[in-house]
Amino acid sequence: MDCPVCKNAMVVLELRGVEIDHCFGCGGIWLDAGELDLLIDDVEKSAKLLDSFTIDTKCTEAKRKCPICAKKMLKVVVGKDGHQLLIDSCKKKHGLWFDAGELEDILKRAKLDSDSKIQTLLADMFAENPQLSETGNNQNQ
Amino acid sequence: MWELIRANKRNSIILMTLMAMVLLLLGFLIGLFIFGPEGGFFGLVIATVIWLILTLISFSSGDQIFLAASGAKPVTKDVNPQLFNVVEEMTIAAGMGKMPKIYIIADPAPNAFATGRKPETSSIAVTAGLLGRLNRDELQGVIAHEMSHIINRDILFVTMAGVMLGTIVLLSQIFLRGMFYSSMGSRRRYSSGGKGGGQAAILFLIIAIIAAILAPIMAQLLYFALSRRREYLADAGGARLTRYPEGLASALEKIANDPSPQLAAANKASAPMYIVNPFKKKGQMKLSDLTSTHPPISERIRILRNMTHGASFKDYSDAYTSTTKHKTIVPVSSFTKEQVAIRQASEKAKSQELKSKQMRQVGDIMRVVNGFVFLSCVCGLKLKIPPNFKASTVKCPRCKRTLEVPKQ
Repeated sequence: MDCPVCKNAMVVLELRGVEIDHCFGCGGIWLDAGELDLLIDDVEKSAKLLDSFTIDTKCTEAKRKCPICAKKMLKVVVGKDGHQLLIDSCKKKHGLWFDAGELEDILKRAKLDSDSKIQTLLADMFAENPQLSETGNNQNQ
Repeated sequence: MWELIRANKRNSIILMTLMAMVLLLLGFLIGLFIFGPEGGFFGLVIATVIWLILTLISFSSGDQIFLAASGAKPVTKDVNPQLFNVVEEMTIAAGMGKMPKIYIIADPAPNAFATGRKPETSSIAVTAGLLGRLNRDELQGVIAHEMSHIINRDILFVTMAGVMLGTIVLLSQIFLRGMFYSSMGSRRRYSSGGKGGGQAAILFLIIAIIAAILAPIMAQLLYFALSRRREYLADAGGARLTRYPEGLASALEKIANDPSPQLAAANKASAPMYIVNPFKKKGQMKLSDLTSTHPPISERIRILRNMTHGASFKDYSDAYTSTTKHKTIVPVSSFTKEQVAIRQASEKAKSQELKSKQMRQVGDIMRVVNGFVFLSCVCGLKLKIPPNFKASTVKCPRCKRTLEVPKQ
Protein backbone atom coordinates (compact mmCIF):
# COMPACT_ATOMS: atom_id res chain seq x y z
CA MET A 1 0.00 0.00 0.00
CA ASP A 2 1.39 3.41 -0.90
CA CYS A 3 1.12 6.58 1.16
CA PRO A 4 -1.61 8.88 -0.24
CA VAL A 5 0.53 11.95 0.49
CA CYS A 6 4.09 11.17 -0.54
CA LYS A 7 3.50 7.91 -2.49
CA ASN A 8 6.16 5.97 -0.57
CA ALA A 9 5.45 2.36 0.27
CA MET A 10 3.95 2.22 3.76
CA VAL A 11 5.32 -0.12 6.41
CA VAL A 12 3.08 -2.06 8.77
CA LEU A 13 3.97 -1.61 12.44
CA GLU A 14 2.80 -4.09 15.04
CA LEU A 15 3.10 -3.64 18.78
CA ARG A 16 1.24 -5.67 21.41
CA GLY A 17 -1.32 -6.94 18.92
CA VAL A 18 -2.11 -3.53 17.47
CA GLU A 19 -1.24 -2.97 13.85
CA ILE A 20 -1.08 0.29 11.86
CA ASP A 21 0.15 1.33 8.42
CA HIS A 22 2.79 4.01 8.79
CA CYS A 23 4.56 6.19 6.23
CA PHE A 24 8.19 6.90 7.02
CA GLY A 25 8.16 9.80 4.58
CA CYS A 26 5.52 12.02 6.15
CA GLY A 27 4.69 10.26 9.41
CA GLY A 28 1.06 9.74 8.47
CA ILE A 29 -1.04 6.78 9.56
CA TRP A 30 -3.55 4.73 7.54
CA LEU A 31 -6.19 2.68 9.34
CA ASP A 32 -8.07 0.03 7.38
CA ALA A 33 -11.83 -0.24 7.77
CA GLY A 34 -12.53 -1.74 11.18
CA GLU A 35 -9.04 -1.10 12.53
CA LEU A 36 -10.20 1.88 14.54
CA ASP A 37 -12.70 -0.48 16.20
CA LEU A 38 -9.88 -2.85 17.03
CA LEU A 39 -7.76 0.01 18.37
CA ILE A 40 -10.51 1.43 20.56
CA ASP A 41 -11.76 -2.05 21.49
CA ASP A 42 -15.24 -0.83 22.42
CA VAL A 43 -17.93 -1.00 19.74
CA GLU A 44 -20.13 1.71 21.28
CA LYS A 45 -17.33 4.20 21.77
CA SER A 46 -15.88 3.71 18.31
CA ALA A 47 -19.35 3.97 16.74
CA LYS A 48 -19.91 7.21 18.66
CA LEU A 49 -16.60 8.58 17.43
CA LEU A 50 -17.32 7.56 13.83
CA ASP A 51 -20.79 9.12 14.02
CA SER A 52 -19.30 12.40 15.17
CA PHE A 53 -17.42 12.67 11.86
CA THR A 54 -19.09 15.10 9.46
CA ILE A 55 -18.29 15.39 5.77
CA ASP A 56 -16.72 18.69 4.81
CA THR A 57 -17.74 20.19 1.48
CA LYS A 58 -16.11 23.62 1.62
CA CYS A 59 -12.55 22.57 2.26
CA THR A 60 -10.01 23.56 -0.36
CA GLU A 61 -7.25 21.24 0.83
CA ALA A 62 -6.10 18.96 -1.98
CA LYS A 63 -8.08 15.72 -2.26
CA ARG A 64 -6.07 12.58 -1.57
CA LYS A 65 -6.59 9.19 -3.10
CA CYS A 66 -7.49 6.08 -1.12
CA PRO A 67 -4.45 3.75 -1.12
CA ILE A 68 -6.77 0.76 -1.64
CA CYS A 69 -9.20 1.83 -4.38
CA ALA A 70 -7.34 4.93 -5.67
CA LYS A 71 -10.57 6.95 -5.64
CA LYS A 72 -10.56 10.46 -4.20
CA MET A 73 -11.24 10.47 -0.48
CA LEU A 74 -13.68 12.68 1.40
CA LYS A 75 -12.52 15.33 3.83
CA VAL A 76 -14.05 14.68 7.20
CA VAL A 77 -14.29 17.15 10.09
CA VAL A 78 -13.58 15.82 13.55
CA GLY A 79 -14.24 17.78 16.75
CA LYS A 80 -16.28 20.80 17.77
CA ASP A 81 -15.90 24.45 16.73
CA GLY A 82 -12.65 26.14 17.53
CA HIS A 83 -10.61 22.99 17.57
CA GLN A 84 -11.27 21.08 14.40
CA LEU A 85 -9.24 18.58 12.49
CA LEU A 86 -9.58 17.43 8.91
CA ILE A 87 -8.95 13.82 8.13
CA ASP A 88 -9.43 11.83 4.92
CA SER A 89 -11.96 9.03 4.64
CA CYS A 90 -12.45 6.68 1.70
CA LYS A 91 -15.85 6.99 0.01
CA LYS A 92 -16.06 3.24 -0.26
CA LYS A 93 -15.23 2.86 3.45
CA HIS A 94 -11.84 1.26 2.86
CA GLY A 95 -10.29 3.21 5.70
CA LEU A 96 -9.09 6.49 7.22
CA TRP A 97 -5.94 8.54 6.69
CA PHE A 98 -4.42 10.59 9.52
CA ASP A 99 -1.61 13.09 8.96
CA ALA A 100 1.25 12.97 11.45
CA GLY A 101 -0.10 13.52 14.97
CA GLU A 102 -3.77 13.70 14.00
CA LEU A 103 -4.72 10.26 15.28
CA GLU A 104 -3.19 10.90 18.71
CA ASP A 105 -4.95 14.24 18.84
CA ILE A 106 -8.35 12.79 18.02
CA LEU A 107 -8.03 9.95 20.48
CA LYS A 108 -6.98 12.38 23.18
CA ARG A 109 -9.91 14.68 22.49
CA ALA A 110 -12.45 11.83 22.34
CA LYS A 111 -11.48 10.76 25.90
CA LEU A 112 -12.05 7.17 24.99
CA ASP A 113 -10.46 5.20 27.72
CA SER A 114 -9.74 6.33 31.24
CA ASP A 115 -6.27 4.80 31.33
CA SER A 116 -5.59 6.06 27.79
CA LYS A 117 -4.22 2.67 26.77
CA ILE A 118 -4.20 3.49 23.07
CA GLN A 119 -2.45 6.81 23.47
CA THR A 120 0.27 5.24 25.58
CA LEU A 121 0.64 2.54 22.99
CA LEU A 122 0.88 4.98 20.09
CA ALA A 123 3.29 7.20 22.02
CA ASP A 124 5.33 4.15 22.85
CA MET A 125 5.28 3.01 19.23
CA PHE A 126 6.77 6.28 18.09
CA ALA A 127 8.97 6.73 21.18
CA GLU A 128 7.49 10.07 22.07
CA ASN A 129 6.37 11.20 25.45
CA PRO A 130 2.92 12.84 25.54
CA GLN A 131 4.28 16.39 25.99
CA LEU A 132 6.48 16.14 22.94
CA SER A 133 3.73 14.87 20.71
CA GLU A 134 1.44 17.67 21.88
CA THR A 135 3.88 20.38 20.84
CA GLY A 136 4.26 18.54 17.57
CA ASN A 137 0.52 18.81 16.99
CA ASN A 138 0.45 22.52 17.74
CA GLN A 139 3.08 23.09 15.13
CA ASN A 140 1.02 21.23 12.58
CA GLN A 141 -2.01 23.39 13.04
CA MET B 1 -24.70 -39.44 -5.52
CA TRP B 2 -24.09 -40.54 -9.08
CA GLU B 3 -27.80 -40.38 -9.71
CA LEU B 4 -27.77 -36.79 -8.67
CA ILE B 5 -25.00 -35.92 -11.06
CA ARG B 6 -26.76 -37.76 -13.87
CA ALA B 7 -30.06 -35.98 -13.26
CA ASN B 8 -28.18 -32.73 -13.12
CA LYS B 9 -26.40 -33.51 -16.35
CA ARG B 10 -29.65 -34.34 -18.12
CA ASN B 11 -31.26 -31.06 -17.11
CA SER B 12 -28.15 -29.16 -18.06
CA ILE B 13 -28.03 -30.76 -21.48
CA ILE B 14 -31.67 -29.84 -22.13
CA LEU B 15 -31.09 -26.23 -21.13
CA MET B 16 -27.78 -25.98 -22.93
CA THR B 17 -29.48 -27.27 -26.06
CA LEU B 18 -32.12 -24.60 -25.67
CA MET B 19 -29.47 -21.93 -25.33
CA ALA B 20 -27.61 -23.33 -28.33
CA MET B 21 -30.85 -23.17 -30.34
CA VAL B 22 -31.34 -19.53 -29.36
CA LEU B 23 -27.76 -18.86 -30.47
CA LEU B 24 -28.12 -20.66 -33.79
CA LEU B 25 -31.49 -19.09 -34.53
CA LEU B 26 -30.03 -15.68 -33.86
CA GLY B 27 -27.10 -16.42 -36.17
CA PHE B 28 -29.48 -17.68 -38.85
CA LEU B 29 -31.72 -14.62 -38.69
CA ILE B 30 -28.83 -12.18 -38.70
CA GLY B 31 -27.40 -14.05 -41.69
CA LEU B 32 -30.73 -13.82 -43.48
CA PHE B 33 -30.85 -10.14 -42.88
CA ILE B 34 -27.29 -9.29 -43.83
CA PHE B 35 -26.66 -11.65 -46.75
CA GLY B 36 -30.16 -11.99 -48.14
CA PRO B 37 -32.41 -15.07 -48.44
CA GLU B 38 -29.53 -17.53 -48.95
CA GLY B 39 -27.37 -16.09 -46.18
CA GLY B 40 -29.06 -17.79 -43.24
CA PHE B 41 -26.73 -20.76 -43.33
CA PHE B 42 -23.71 -18.49 -43.53
CA GLY B 43 -24.83 -16.58 -40.44
CA LEU B 44 -25.28 -19.87 -38.66
CA VAL B 45 -21.71 -20.88 -39.47
CA ILE B 46 -20.33 -17.54 -38.27
CA ALA B 47 -22.24 -17.81 -34.99
CA THR B 48 -20.90 -21.33 -34.45
CA VAL B 49 -17.33 -20.30 -35.24
CA ILE B 50 -17.44 -17.39 -32.76
CA TRP B 51 -18.91 -19.68 -30.13
CA LEU B 52 -16.25 -22.34 -30.77
CA ILE B 53 -13.39 -19.87 -30.47
CA LEU B 54 -14.68 -18.48 -27.18
CA THR B 55 -15.29 -21.99 -25.85
CA LEU B 56 -11.78 -23.09 -26.76
CA ILE B 57 -10.25 -20.11 -24.98
CA SER B 58 -12.30 -20.66 -21.87
CA PHE B 59 -11.59 -24.39 -21.85
CA SER B 60 -7.87 -24.13 -22.31
CA SER B 61 -7.20 -21.36 -19.81
CA GLY B 62 -10.52 -20.11 -18.48
CA ASP B 63 -9.78 -20.98 -14.85
CA GLN B 64 -6.35 -19.38 -15.00
CA ILE B 65 -7.80 -16.19 -16.51
CA PHE B 66 -10.48 -16.16 -13.87
CA LEU B 67 -8.08 -16.70 -10.96
CA ALA B 68 -5.73 -14.04 -12.30
CA ALA B 69 -8.57 -11.58 -12.80
CA SER B 70 -9.73 -12.03 -9.23
CA GLY B 71 -6.20 -11.49 -7.90
CA ALA B 72 -6.03 -14.91 -6.23
CA LYS B 73 -2.65 -16.09 -4.93
CA PRO B 74 -1.79 -19.79 -4.46
CA VAL B 75 -0.96 -20.83 -0.91
CA THR B 76 1.01 -23.73 0.50
CA LYS B 77 0.31 -25.80 3.57
CA ASP B 78 2.68 -23.93 5.88
CA VAL B 79 1.01 -20.58 5.14
CA ASN B 80 -2.42 -21.62 6.39
CA PRO B 81 -2.52 -25.16 7.84
CA GLN B 82 -6.17 -24.93 8.96
CA LEU B 83 -7.50 -24.11 5.51
CA PHE B 84 -5.40 -26.91 4.04
CA ASN B 85 -6.64 -29.30 6.65
CA VAL B 86 -10.28 -28.49 6.00
CA VAL B 87 -9.87 -28.87 2.23
CA GLU B 88 -8.08 -32.21 2.71
CA GLU B 89 -10.90 -33.43 4.95
CA MET B 90 -13.59 -32.44 2.47
CA THR B 91 -11.66 -33.98 -0.44
CA ILE B 92 -11.74 -37.30 1.39
CA ALA B 93 -15.41 -36.89 2.40
CA ALA B 94 -16.35 -36.15 -1.20
CA GLY B 95 -14.34 -39.13 -2.44
CA MET B 96 -12.34 -36.99 -4.83
CA GLY B 97 -9.05 -38.43 -6.02
CA LYS B 98 -7.04 -35.25 -6.02
CA MET B 99 -7.17 -32.25 -3.74
CA PRO B 100 -8.14 -28.97 -5.42
CA LYS B 101 -5.51 -26.23 -5.50
CA ILE B 102 -6.06 -23.56 -2.87
CA TYR B 103 -5.94 -19.82 -3.47
CA ILE B 104 -6.41 -16.78 -1.23
CA ILE B 105 -7.72 -13.42 -2.44
CA ALA B 106 -6.54 -10.35 -0.53
CA ASP B 107 -9.93 -8.78 0.05
CA PRO B 108 -11.71 -7.98 3.31
CA ALA B 109 -15.15 -8.96 1.92
CA PRO B 110 -15.81 -12.60 2.89
CA ASN B 111 -16.56 -14.78 -0.16
CA ALA B 112 -15.35 -17.91 -1.93
CA PHE B 113 -15.51 -19.65 -5.30
CA ALA B 114 -14.39 -22.81 -7.03
CA THR B 115 -13.12 -23.05 -10.59
CA GLY B 116 -11.68 -25.61 -13.00
CA ARG B 117 -13.35 -27.79 -15.57
CA LYS B 118 -12.66 -31.21 -14.10
CA PRO B 119 -12.45 -32.24 -10.43
CA GLU B 120 -8.79 -33.19 -11.07
CA THR B 121 -7.80 -29.71 -12.16
CA SER B 122 -10.09 -27.71 -9.91
CA SER B 123 -9.17 -24.86 -7.59
CA ILE B 124 -10.88 -23.30 -4.60
CA ALA B 125 -10.32 -19.64 -3.76
CA VAL B 126 -11.33 -17.93 -0.52
CA THR B 127 -10.92 -14.29 0.47
CA ALA B 128 -8.82 -13.18 3.43
CA GLY B 129 -11.98 -11.70 4.95
CA LEU B 130 -13.61 -15.13 4.94
CA LEU B 131 -10.66 -16.74 6.74
CA GLY B 132 -10.64 -13.95 9.27
CA ARG B 133 -14.29 -14.15 10.22
CA LEU B 134 -15.30 -17.80 10.15
CA ASN B 135 -14.55 -20.48 12.70
CA ARG B 136 -13.50 -23.95 11.64
CA ASP B 137 -17.03 -25.39 11.34
CA GLU B 138 -18.17 -22.49 9.20
CA LEU B 139 -15.10 -22.64 6.99
CA GLN B 140 -15.74 -26.36 6.54
CA GLY B 141 -19.31 -25.59 5.46
CA VAL B 142 -18.12 -23.13 2.83
CA ILE B 143 -15.41 -25.47 1.51
CA ALA B 144 -17.94 -28.34 1.36
CA HIS B 145 -20.32 -26.11 -0.63
CA GLU B 146 -17.54 -25.33 -3.13
CA MET B 147 -16.53 -29.00 -3.22
CA SER B 148 -20.13 -29.89 -4.12
CA HIS B 149 -19.95 -27.45 -7.01
CA ILE B 150 -16.84 -29.27 -8.19
CA ILE B 151 -18.25 -32.79 -7.95
CA ASN B 152 -21.58 -31.74 -9.46
CA ARG B 153 -19.59 -30.42 -12.45
CA ASP B 154 -21.27 -27.06 -11.95
CA ILE B 155 -18.16 -25.19 -12.96
CA LEU B 156 -17.99 -26.83 -16.35
CA PHE B 157 -21.62 -25.97 -16.81
CA VAL B 158 -21.40 -22.38 -15.60
CA THR B 159 -18.39 -21.85 -17.87
CA MET B 160 -20.16 -23.31 -20.90
CA ALA B 161 -23.42 -21.50 -20.24
CA GLY B 162 -21.47 -18.31 -19.60
CA VAL B 163 -19.59 -18.60 -22.89
CA MET B 164 -22.78 -19.30 -24.81
CA LEU B 165 -24.51 -16.39 -23.16
CA GLY B 166 -21.50 -14.23 -23.96
CA THR B 167 -21.67 -15.25 -27.63
CA ILE B 168 -25.38 -14.48 -27.85
CA VAL B 169 -24.90 -11.06 -26.30
CA LEU B 170 -21.88 -10.38 -28.50
CA LEU B 171 -23.72 -11.31 -31.72
CA SER B 172 -26.82 -9.31 -30.94
CA GLN B 173 -24.79 -6.30 -29.85
CA ILE B 174 -22.72 -6.33 -33.04
CA PHE B 175 -25.89 -6.74 -35.06
CA LEU B 176 -27.87 -4.00 -33.34
CA ARG B 177 -24.98 -1.55 -33.46
CA GLY B 178 -24.20 -2.48 -37.06
CA MET B 179 -27.86 -1.91 -37.93
CA PHE B 180 -27.76 1.51 -36.44
CA TYR B 181 -24.88 2.62 -38.66
CA SER B 182 -25.65 0.83 -41.89
CA SER B 183 -29.42 0.62 -42.06
CA MET B 184 -29.59 3.25 -44.80
CA GLY B 185 -27.30 1.40 -47.19
CA SER B 186 -28.90 -2.01 -46.84
CA ARG B 187 -32.41 -0.70 -47.23
CA ARG B 188 -31.52 0.96 -50.48
CA ARG B 189 -29.96 -2.24 -51.76
CA TYR B 190 -33.05 -4.32 -51.05
CA SER B 191 -35.63 -1.90 -52.36
CA SER B 192 -33.88 -1.71 -55.71
CA GLY B 193 -33.39 -5.49 -55.86
CA GLY B 194 -36.82 -6.83 -56.77
CA LYS B 195 -40.53 -6.46 -56.33
CA GLY B 196 -41.26 -9.06 -53.59
CA GLY B 197 -37.77 -8.75 -52.10
CA GLY B 198 -38.47 -5.48 -50.33
CA GLN B 199 -41.29 -6.90 -48.27
CA ALA B 200 -39.39 -10.04 -47.38
CA ALA B 201 -36.43 -7.95 -46.29
CA ILE B 202 -38.59 -5.86 -43.98
CA LEU B 203 -40.06 -9.03 -42.50
CA PHE B 204 -36.60 -10.48 -41.90
CA LEU B 205 -35.51 -7.19 -40.45
CA ILE B 206 -38.33 -7.19 -37.91
CA ILE B 207 -37.75 -10.81 -36.95
CA ALA B 208 -34.01 -10.24 -36.63
CA ILE B 209 -34.47 -7.18 -34.45
CA ILE B 210 -36.92 -8.98 -32.16
CA ALA B 211 -34.57 -11.95 -31.95
CA ALA B 212 -31.59 -9.74 -31.22
CA ILE B 213 -33.43 -8.03 -28.39
CA LEU B 214 -35.02 -11.15 -26.94
CA ALA B 215 -32.13 -13.58 -27.25
CA PRO B 216 -29.85 -12.06 -24.59
CA ILE B 217 -32.73 -11.63 -22.17
CA MET B 218 -33.86 -15.22 -22.63
CA ALA B 219 -30.37 -16.58 -22.36
CA GLN B 220 -29.70 -14.56 -19.24
CA LEU B 221 -32.87 -15.82 -17.58
CA LEU B 222 -31.92 -19.40 -18.35
CA TYR B 223 -28.45 -18.85 -17.00
CA PHE B 224 -29.72 -17.26 -13.82
CA ALA B 225 -32.39 -19.88 -13.16
CA LEU B 226 -29.77 -22.59 -13.52
CA SER B 227 -27.21 -21.03 -11.31
CA ARG B 228 -29.79 -20.48 -8.55
CA ARG B 229 -30.82 -24.12 -8.66
CA ARG B 230 -27.21 -25.15 -8.46
CA GLU B 231 -26.63 -23.04 -5.38
CA TYR B 232 -29.37 -24.95 -3.55
CA LEU B 233 -27.93 -28.26 -4.68
CA ALA B 234 -24.45 -27.22 -3.56
CA ASP B 235 -25.89 -26.24 -0.17
CA ALA B 236 -27.51 -29.68 0.07
CA GLY B 237 -24.23 -31.34 -0.88
CA GLY B 238 -22.30 -29.17 1.57
CA ALA B 239 -24.61 -30.10 4.43
CA ARG B 240 -24.25 -33.77 3.57
CA LEU B 241 -20.45 -33.70 3.34
CA THR B 242 -19.99 -31.92 6.67
CA ARG B 243 -22.96 -33.58 8.41
CA TYR B 244 -23.38 -30.19 10.05
CA PRO B 245 -25.83 -27.86 8.23
CA GLU B 246 -25.49 -25.22 10.96
CA GLY B 247 -21.86 -24.59 9.97
CA LEU B 248 -22.78 -23.49 6.45
CA ALA B 249 -25.89 -21.68 7.71
CA SER B 250 -23.96 -19.54 10.16
CA ALA B 251 -21.19 -18.94 7.60
CA LEU B 252 -23.81 -17.64 5.13
CA GLU B 253 -25.26 -15.48 7.87
CA LYS B 254 -21.88 -13.96 8.66
CA ILE B 255 -21.13 -13.35 4.99
CA ALA B 256 -24.54 -11.74 4.42
CA ASN B 257 -24.31 -9.46 7.43
CA ASP B 258 -20.76 -8.39 6.82
CA PRO B 259 -20.30 -4.62 6.70
CA SER B 260 -17.13 -4.53 4.59
CA PRO B 261 -17.27 -3.04 1.09
CA GLN B 262 -18.14 -5.32 -1.80
CA LEU B 263 -15.54 -7.52 -3.41
CA ALA B 264 -13.38 -5.38 -5.65
CA ALA B 265 -12.47 -8.06 -8.17
CA ALA B 266 -16.00 -9.29 -8.87
CA ASN B 267 -17.78 -8.46 -12.11
CA LYS B 268 -21.04 -9.48 -13.75
CA ALA B 269 -19.54 -12.42 -15.58
CA SER B 270 -17.89 -13.89 -12.52
CA ALA B 271 -20.73 -13.23 -10.06
CA PRO B 272 -22.39 -16.68 -10.42
CA MET B 273 -19.13 -18.34 -9.37
CA TYR B 274 -19.11 -17.01 -5.81
CA ILE B 275 -20.80 -18.65 -2.81
CA VAL B 276 -22.76 -15.47 -2.13
CA ASN B 277 -23.55 -12.86 -4.76
CA PRO B 278 -20.66 -10.38 -4.48
CA PHE B 279 -22.84 -7.43 -5.48
CA LYS B 280 -24.47 -5.85 -2.49
CA LYS B 281 -27.88 -4.40 -3.09
CA LYS B 282 -30.19 -2.98 -0.51
CA GLY B 283 -33.29 -5.11 0.04
CA GLN B 284 -31.82 -7.87 -2.06
CA MET B 285 -31.93 -10.32 0.81
CA LYS B 286 -35.69 -10.39 1.00
CA LEU B 287 -36.50 -9.94 -2.63
CA SER B 288 -36.40 -13.09 -4.67
CA ASP B 289 -35.73 -11.64 -8.02
CA LEU B 290 -35.81 -13.17 -11.49
CA THR B 291 -32.47 -11.74 -12.46
CA SER B 292 -30.58 -12.81 -9.38
CA THR B 293 -27.88 -15.43 -9.80
CA HIS B 294 -28.24 -16.56 -6.20
CA PRO B 295 -31.28 -17.50 -4.14
CA PRO B 296 -32.00 -15.13 -1.26
CA ILE B 297 -29.50 -15.87 1.51
CA SER B 298 -32.14 -15.68 4.22
CA GLU B 299 -33.97 -18.52 2.51
CA ARG B 300 -30.84 -20.63 2.12
CA ILE B 301 -30.12 -20.17 5.82
CA ARG B 302 -33.68 -21.07 6.85
CA ILE B 303 -33.62 -24.25 4.79
CA LEU B 304 -30.31 -25.35 6.33
CA ARG B 305 -31.56 -24.60 9.84
CA ASN B 306 -34.75 -26.59 9.21
CA MET B 307 -32.70 -29.73 8.62
CA THR B 308 -33.29 -31.13 12.08
CA HIS B 309 -33.50 -34.84 11.34
CA GLY B 310 -30.37 -35.50 9.37
CA ALA B 311 -28.04 -34.19 6.69
CA SER B 312 -28.88 -36.36 3.67
CA PHE B 313 -30.27 -35.04 0.37
CA LYS B 314 -33.72 -36.25 1.45
CA ASP B 315 -33.51 -34.18 4.62
CA TYR B 316 -32.49 -31.10 2.63
CA SER B 317 -35.31 -31.69 0.19
CA ASP B 318 -37.85 -31.95 3.06
CA ALA B 319 -36.51 -28.77 4.63
CA TYR B 320 -36.66 -27.07 1.23
CA THR B 321 -40.31 -27.91 0.62
CA SER B 322 -41.39 -27.01 4.15
CA THR B 323 -39.51 -23.69 4.03
CA THR B 324 -40.29 -22.43 0.54
CA LYS B 325 -43.58 -24.30 -0.13
CA HIS B 326 -42.20 -25.00 -3.62
CA LYS B 327 -41.65 -28.32 -5.32
CA THR B 328 -38.29 -29.76 -4.38
CA ILE B 329 -35.28 -28.93 -6.56
CA VAL B 330 -33.33 -31.96 -5.43
CA PRO B 331 -33.72 -34.80 -7.96
CA VAL B 332 -35.83 -37.61 -6.46
CA SER B 333 -33.32 -40.14 -7.76
CA SER B 334 -30.82 -38.96 -5.15
CA PHE B 335 -33.06 -40.04 -2.25
CA THR B 336 -31.23 -43.19 -1.34
CA LYS B 337 -31.86 -44.97 1.92
CA GLU B 338 -28.73 -43.42 3.39
CA GLN B 339 -28.91 -42.00 6.88
CA VAL B 340 -26.66 -39.04 7.48
CA ALA B 341 -26.78 -38.07 11.13
CA ILE B 342 -26.04 -34.51 12.14
CA ARG B 343 -22.86 -34.22 14.16
CA GLN B 344 -22.16 -31.92 17.06
CA ALA B 345 -20.36 -28.60 16.77
CA SER B 346 -16.64 -29.30 16.87
CA GLU B 347 -15.56 -26.40 19.05
CA LYS B 348 -16.95 -23.54 21.04
CA ALA B 349 -17.39 -20.19 19.38
CA LYS B 350 -14.27 -18.15 19.65
CA SER B 351 -14.08 -15.15 21.95
CA GLN B 352 -13.80 -11.60 20.67
CA GLU B 353 -10.12 -11.42 21.62
CA LEU B 354 -9.31 -14.49 19.58
CA LYS B 355 -11.21 -13.07 16.64
CA SER B 356 -9.05 -9.99 16.32
CA LYS B 357 -6.01 -12.24 16.65
CA GLN B 358 -7.45 -14.39 13.84
CA MET B 359 -7.81 -11.29 11.64
CA ARG B 360 -4.16 -10.37 12.31
CA GLN B 361 -3.02 -13.86 11.39
CA VAL B 362 -4.94 -13.71 8.13
CA GLY B 363 -3.42 -10.31 7.41
CA ASP B 364 0.03 -11.79 7.94
CA ILE B 365 -0.81 -14.73 5.66
CA MET B 366 -1.77 -12.29 2.92
CA ARG B 367 1.46 -10.38 3.44
CA VAL B 368 3.60 -13.51 3.21
CA VAL B 369 1.79 -14.41 0.00
CA ASN B 370 2.37 -10.91 -1.35
CA GLY B 371 6.11 -10.95 -0.63
CA PHE B 372 6.37 -8.78 2.49
CA VAL B 373 9.52 -8.93 4.62
CA PHE B 374 8.98 -9.32 8.37
CA LEU B 375 11.45 -7.56 10.66
CA SER B 376 11.45 -7.78 14.45
CA CYS B 377 13.25 -4.97 16.21
CA VAL B 378 15.01 -5.73 19.50
CA CYS B 379 12.67 -3.31 21.26
CA GLY B 380 9.67 -5.53 20.45
CA LEU B 381 8.21 -3.59 17.54
CA LYS B 382 7.40 -5.65 14.46
CA LEU B 383 7.88 -4.06 11.06
CA LYS B 384 6.28 -5.56 7.97
CA ILE B 385 7.99 -4.17 4.90
CA PRO B 386 6.20 -4.29 1.53
CA PRO B 387 8.14 -5.54 -1.53
CA ASN B 388 8.05 -2.09 -3.18
CA PHE B 389 9.78 -0.38 -0.23
CA LYS B 390 12.76 1.38 -1.75
CA ALA B 391 15.17 2.25 1.07
CA SER B 392 17.67 -0.43 2.11
CA THR B 393 17.50 0.54 5.78
CA VAL B 394 14.66 1.56 8.02
CA LYS B 395 14.78 3.42 11.33
CA CYS B 396 12.69 1.80 14.06
CA PRO B 397 10.26 4.52 15.12
CA ARG B 398 10.21 3.17 18.66
CA CYS B 399 13.86 2.88 19.65
CA LYS B 400 15.45 4.74 16.72
CA ARG B 401 17.71 1.79 15.87
CA THR B 402 18.57 1.43 12.22
CA LEU B 403 17.44 -1.88 10.78
CA GLU B 404 18.57 -3.37 7.52
CA VAL B 405 15.95 -4.42 5.01
CA PRO B 406 17.00 -7.76 3.46
CA LYS B 407 16.94 -7.81 -0.32
CA GLN B 408 14.52 -10.21 -2.01
